[in-house]
Amino acid sequence: MTKLLNRPLKAFTIYSLIILIISIPVYVLVVDRIWVEELDENNWLTLEHTKKRLKAKAFTRKDIEKINQIWGELQPGVSIIKSNDKEKFKDSVYEVIRPNSYDLDDGEDRFRGLKSYLNINGEPYEITIETNVEEADQTLIAIALVTLCFFLLLIIGFILLNRKIAINSWKPFYKTLQSLKLFDITKDTSIKLVKTDIQEFQELNYSLEKLVKNNSNAYQQQKLFIENASHELQTPIALLKSKLDLLIQEKEVTPKIAEIINNIEIPLSRLSRINKNLLILAKVENRQYNELESLHVDHFINTSFLLLSDYINSKNITVTQNIKNTIEVQANYFLLETLINNLLSNAIRHTLVDGEIKIKLENNTLFISNSGKTALHKEQLFERFSSLSQEKSSSGLGLAIIKEIVNKYKWSINYHYQNGFHTFYIQF
Amino acid sequence: MKILIIEDEIELAKDIMNYLSSEQYLCEWVTNYNNAIEKIFTHEYDCILLDLMLPGGNGISILETLKQQRKQEGVIIISAKNSLEDKIKGLKLGADDYLAKPFHQAELAARIESLIRRKQFDSNNIITQKELSIDIHSKTVTVNNQLVNLTKKEFDLLLFFIGNKNKVLSKSTLAEHLSGDFADMFDNHDFVYAHVKNLKRKLKESNCNDYLKTIYGTGYKWEQ
Repeated sequence: MTKLLNRPLKAFTIYSLIILIISIPVYVLVVDRIWVEELDENNWLTLEHTKKRLKAKAFTRKDIEKINQIWGELQPGVSIIKSNDKEKFKDSVYEVIRPNSYDLDDGEDRFRGLKSYLNINGEPYEITIETNVEEADQTLIAIALVTLCFFLLLIIGFILLNRKIAINSWKPFYKTLQSLKLFDITKDTSIKLVKTDIQEFQELNYSLEKLVKNNSNAYQQQKLFIENASHELQTPIALLKSKLDLLIQEKEVTPKIAEIINNIEIPLSRLSRINKNLLILAKVENRQYNELESLHVDHFINTSFLLLSDYINSKNITVTQNIKNTIEVQANYFLLETLINNLLSNAIRHTLVDGEIKIKLENNTLFISNSGKTALHKEQLFERFSSLSQEKSSSGLGLAIIKEIVNKYKWSINYHYQNGFHTFYIQF
Repeated sequence: MKILIIEDEIELAKDIMNYLSSEQYLCEWVTNYNNAIEKIFTHEYDCILLDLMLPGGNGISILETLKQQRKQEGVIIISAKNSLEDKIKGLKLGADDYLAKPFHQAELAARIESLIRRKQFDSNNIITQKELSIDIHSKTVTVNNQLVNLTKKEFDLLLFFIGNKNKVLSKSTLAEHLSGDFADMFDNHDFVYAHVKNLKRKLKESNCNDYLKTIYGTGYKWEQ
């Protein structure tokens, strides 16, 4: 993953590198061409000038030989020699690389020459003029070095500019990002994003605020819907229950009918429990149960234990309690009661006959373990209706409620399976 | 004894009246706030069953009215709103008990019985049925003046049966009475058998008549 800002930086760097690399041969060609043209022109001018003077002075053959000798000594590569050919040739330009007698460290040098012919006293002469030219490879090195310097300057500039742009222009974006990270639909109803003068970010913020508002509304409505729906269901469930109570009083109730009634009561109880739990869940989510009290966790364990003792005994479960210290928490009475009751009844329900339950309270952690054969899937454990067991009386909401209560008070709940024991532990 | 049922759910109100009618109770029934207020001003009741969500007004304000009028009626709130705030608010305003819907008729009958008894015999709180005598206050049971040693749950069951004389009580009703909200978390209510069996045995050993009948496949019935 790269940061957005580093992506164009990388691209710009690579692009400028390519362009600069391409520019090097181009520069070399251009410079060399200018060089050569300029020298050719210079050679030509010198030649014309020399020709004119040679013609005007009407030198003798001997004079010219002497001139050639002196000239050649003064400026190597320049010569005027008698041509054997009588025909008049065209001027010709040549380039030669040979050692330079003056420049010993440089090894070989490149020379640009111009060869021409002229008649002096009716005799043909060949005249040559040479000038030292900078070699192309040296030009290349020089240009490459300069280009590299500029490239480094460019990169440093890019990085600095990028950083400056990042700090200034992208600041609102990072602020928005931070707000979004902190946003929690279960807690916040709206999101406040910092105003910015950059149009795109302002549009982004506006769209985000709108999106969050719509989603939050939908979420609130859904929560309210669950609460209202379960409220509405209470009455028909209550009616069913009271009708069954009356039905069982009838004199004509045979054992067979009684069994049917009983079989209606069981799913009805389950329906009633699911509904009650949905209501509790909705209410915790809708942030009801807000009164806080100072409560002792061990007290709730004892009460819950007494209430459930019948179920513990009927399954012949061994319970070991290891309460090392008391934990005092600030919580809602009903919610803490629900939390402990759900945990304990959960453990009882999922323990087989003759099983074992261990309750441990140590420091600020409550451990409730029960014997079981296989580990549960951690991921789905606290999801609603993710019933992992075949237990029919389960509402599928017990652990979801536990999780919700734990979240409400920012406690933590975890599960692990070890040595044949399922353990749920809550850190208060 | 006169009972006023303030409940807008007609069927539920009828069921309550049905269940209670065979007892010594005389039930009256209103479905809205205004009629309830009217009844309260013009009549005296032993017990009022009050639903909180009523057409025309909130049940809580009926409680407030009762308090202002310094009425002595016992009030049991029967509400679908099983919220703690309402419960506390109701009890603070002078309601005697709170029963969340859905409830068993037997549970309601037992609560009414217990409420009326508390209101009527403050000092001498003893229920007698021939040789059997139950002291609510000291939680003791005697048969022919001989003390019967009952556990807390057996005592609770006995009172529950007395509060629902001649009614058939199913195992799940008894389980719910004994373990409240927990009962419907479990499929197995067999522990009820054990408690009833022990209660029957203890009463029989004390030479008490066999008032507690087992109705095959259905549940139990206290006969008087």
